[in-house]
Amino acid sequence: MNVEFVTAGFPLITLSIIIPVIAAAVLFIVKEELAKPISIITSAIVFLITTYMLFAYDYTSYKIQFYEKYTWIPQFGVSYEVGVDALSLTMVWLTALAFLVSFIWSTNIQKRIKEYFISFLILEAACIGVFVSWDLVWFYIFWEAMLIPMFLIIGIWGYAERIYAATKFFIYTFFGSLFLLIGVIGMYIYQYFNKEILSTSYFDLVNLNLPFNLEIIFFLLLALGFAIKVPMWPFHTWLPAAHVQAPTAGSVILAAVLLKMGTYGFIRFSLPWFPEASKYFVPVMFTLGVIAIIYTAMMALSQTHIKRIIAYSSVSHMGFVTIGTFALNMEGMNGAIITMISHGFTSAALFLAAGYIYDRVHSYELNDLGGLAKFMPVFATLFMISAMASAGLPGLSGFVGEFLALVGTFKASVLTGVLAGISLIVGAGYTLWLYHKSMFKESLLTPEKIHRWEKLKDMNGVELTSFVPLVVMMFVLGIYPAWWIKLIETTSAAILSKIIGG
Amino acid sequence: MSILEQIVSGIGLPNFWVLLPEIIVLLTAFILLVLELFIKNRVVISGITIGGLLLAAASISLIREGDVTFYGLYVVDMFSLVFKLFLILTTIFVVINLKPYLDSKKTYYGEYYYIILFALIGMMIMVSAPNLVTFYMGLELAAVSIYILAGTFRKDYRSKEGAFKYLIIGGMGTAIISYAIALIYGRTGSFDFYTIASSINSNSLDIGMIGALILLIVGLGLKAAAVPFHFWTPDAYEGAPTPITAFMAVAAKIATFAVILRVMVEAFPFISSEWSFAWALLAAASMIIGNIIALRQENVKRMLAYSSIAHTGYILAALAAPTGMGFTALIFYSLIYIFMGIGGFIVLSALEKNHNWTNHINDFKGLARRSPMMALFMLIFMFSMLGIPPTVGFMGKLGVFLALIGMDLWWLAVVLVIMSIISAGYYLRVVIYMYMYEPVSKARLNYSVSEMFTVAFMATFVLILGIYPTIFWGLSSTLSSVLLAGIGR
Repeated sequence: MNVEFVTAGFPLITLSIIIPVIAAAVLFIVKEELAKPISIITSAIVFLITTYMLFAYDYTSYKIQFYEKYTWIPQFGVSYEVGVDALSLTMVWLTALAFLVSFIWSTNIQKRIKEYFISFLILEAACIGVFVSWDLVWFYIFWEAMLIPMFLIIGIWGYAERIYAATKFFIYTFFGSLFLLIGVIGMYIYQYFNKEILSTSYFDLVNLNLPFNLEIIFFLLLALGFAIKVPMWPFHTWLPAAHVQAPTAGSVILAAVLLKMGTYGFIRFSLPWFPEASKYFVPVMFTLGVIAIIYTAMMALSQTHIKRIIAYSSVSHMGFVTIGTFALNMEGMNGAIITMISHGFTSAALFLAAGYIYDRVHSYELNDLGGLAKFMPVFATLFMISAMASAGLPGLSGFVGEFLALVGTFKASVLTGVLAGISLIVGAGYTLWLYHKSMFKESLLTPEKIHRWEKLKDMNGVELTSFVPLVVMMFVLGIYPAWWIKLIETTSAAILSKIIGG
Repeated sequence: MSILEQIVSGIGLPNFWVLLPEIIVLLTAFILLVLELFIKNRVVISGITIGGLLLAAASISLIREGDVTFYGLYVVDMFSLVFKLFLILTTIFVVINLKPYLDSKKTYYGEYYYIILFALIGMMIMVSAPNLVTFYMGLELAAVSIYILAGTFRKDYRSKEGAFKYLIIGGMGTAIISYAIALIYGRTGSFDFYTIASSINSNSLDIGMIGALILLIVGLGLKAAAVPFHFWTPDAYEGAPTPITAFMAVAAKIATFAVILRVMVEAFPFISSEWSFAWALLAAASMIIGNIIALRQENVKRMLAYSSIAHTGYILAALAAPTGMGFTALIFYSLIYIFMGIGGFIVLSALEKNHNWTNHINDFKGLARRSPMMALFMLIFMFSMLGIPPTVGFMGKLGVFLALIGMDLWWLAVVLVIMSIISAGYYLRVVIYMYMYEPVSKARLNYSVSEMFTVAFMATFVLILGIYPTIFWGLSSTLSSVLLAGIGR
């Protein structure tokens, strides 16, 4: 794979990593009241930078753009190397959006404000770093550095079982990433012994042309790290625990950004590095993907805890991304990437909605809700749109990605396509059920509930500002997906080039 | 011509210039030994100690080129100079924190200062030894001084118990090493590393030589607290005054790793495949036992003692890959362990000054509320020991992984991975208790300036080196090539 680079005139990417870190350092010294405005302004700046990059990106051919490279540890051939292609760029933009939304939402946080915003700012830097690094050591540094703030966020600001959930999250992901690390080191050593190149750059490792048996081994080592992060069935058990216990903004980031890292890893590393092994493992990935989609959709159906339902639906959607990716054709790949973006909007919005309900009603249990729509119509509308987008209603974002992923899957394997397609119905089922039970079902209403809910206020300004951008993006992506597909098409082709040629 | 002049003209005067750091430290120690009888002002005593150490550190920069002096008994090269510099710096950080700690315990012994310096000289001799006799002398000087240091709380039962255990087991180690030296001398007729190296290769291994090698490795493993020779460590570390624990766990260990590396590489370079396997076994055992026992500790100081055993395992694992990369990784990890180890133990020492603080894990509840900065530094040290980027602990483990996988030692790499994950259990627990529980006591925590400075300095370096390890990597690989260049000289 020969890649062209467009060097950045101005280090925009480095800036968007460093600004949150600087802001976090500033927060240490300033007064507590300033924490919220500083964080919101910081994330707004980062969002503007990434939005600028999104429009300045030239998608007509595959080039790594806004590329920067500086030598870092010459003894090991490690450089600081960042840049974006369309996949990285959309993910970075999604990250910036999700963080902006979370920061705005978090203005109602009361407990240990400074530490809260410092954790989130460092998390933002690490998340952006993961998506833009092309040097494997830096990739790994960001990938792991993200664990520390997330661990604290779940553990400090979470709900009753937070410590258990935080520890489970940490140990699960740490386990996976260490295997990822030895996989990468193995490739690095192989490269050194066989090609005498001392480099951890993605662009050197991609040209390694490993023998088949080594490809299998390294694929498995890396896949373990990614699969836990996605999470794929059967490694998903940390996710419901973490989601349920995390504070609202933590859940938003977890769903909108962290889950994408796993699928990003598969698309970015596994396919171009191990084309033969990827083909070899298609049946396994399809099986795991279909199990994830169906099993977790069933699990979602039987839950009564709002966040748990959304968490399971996330695993299910990630199953679509997995099968789309391993369909190994253009439609599947485009579908996978679009689903990742769309899931970023919908899951973030749904978790915000859950947080909103909890703030008002102080319960996540469906049976404690019911008939809320009458009392907060604005919220009900926005929640409805998000739920429909998540379920895949045409015209909204969820439909585009899932449709493309299914088309790709049908081309690769009809059986998988049929099974995944059927589960869409289940998906629509639990989403509607969730919405129906919480917002409409009037049989759950008691006079006492009505009395309480008459006092509830509809969305305030802060909540609207954080919620509306997501809903708008669902429409944008749903109604005019062509722009997005054009944006990612060259990248999908480049990623698949080793597998399907061209 | 007098007799003295005849001797000098016959064999030449040894080059004392390159011994400047040792001489300064020794003079300071003797001055303190005498002064301590008359001056009871602790500030003066510790001031003189620190002044002497700073002078010694500065004098290292005066030594422009290395030399083998004392008629081939003492080598001053870059390897030994760099380790001496770091040992002196470590000692400075221990000494400045000694006074506040002892003040709070209301037990003051002036002996500390000069005994620490004697131990330091022992370590400096260790890292400069080109010869089994010099090596043995340095090892013993350091060891005997540390036995005394560990037991200076003579009214405290645990301190005495720890020191006594250490004395008995350490004495056994000394005996084992001297057997090994005797056997090596019997086989090769020399104490000198290079002569030994040139007369031993894998074809000339016989039962005596193998026995000697095993005894030597056992003895050195005992000094480095490798499993299964670690039984003295938890008790000695827990019983000793906490700054002294830091000294034992960091300075003494670093010196031991340096000397292990030097002996193995310079005296036995041609049978590296034999000894590397022995070290691999010790490393695996240390990682497994250290981490698993640490998991069950309720006392954080004791937990850190076991964690230091686990770190011995990680560091020795690099020796299982006897390549330039392996030696580089070992040197790098040893040097960075200074920052994590001193940091972690000094945090404990600072906290321990406060009333009712027992180092029990429950005492850490809500530390982040009571003392946010201290909790943040402890968090950095814990994540660094766990090996999470962007702290330097990750870079250390990365080097070991590179070395191990470069030699196809996958099994040891996997042991390292699994044990790292297990270690998350106890390091995270400290973080959880500090950050995720409400404080049980609201009493103010007081720290001295020196403690705050030490801890902040170490934490800053842990982060800086985690982001920019380049200089340290360069240094470590230079040192390892200095060692390798010496082979077969």
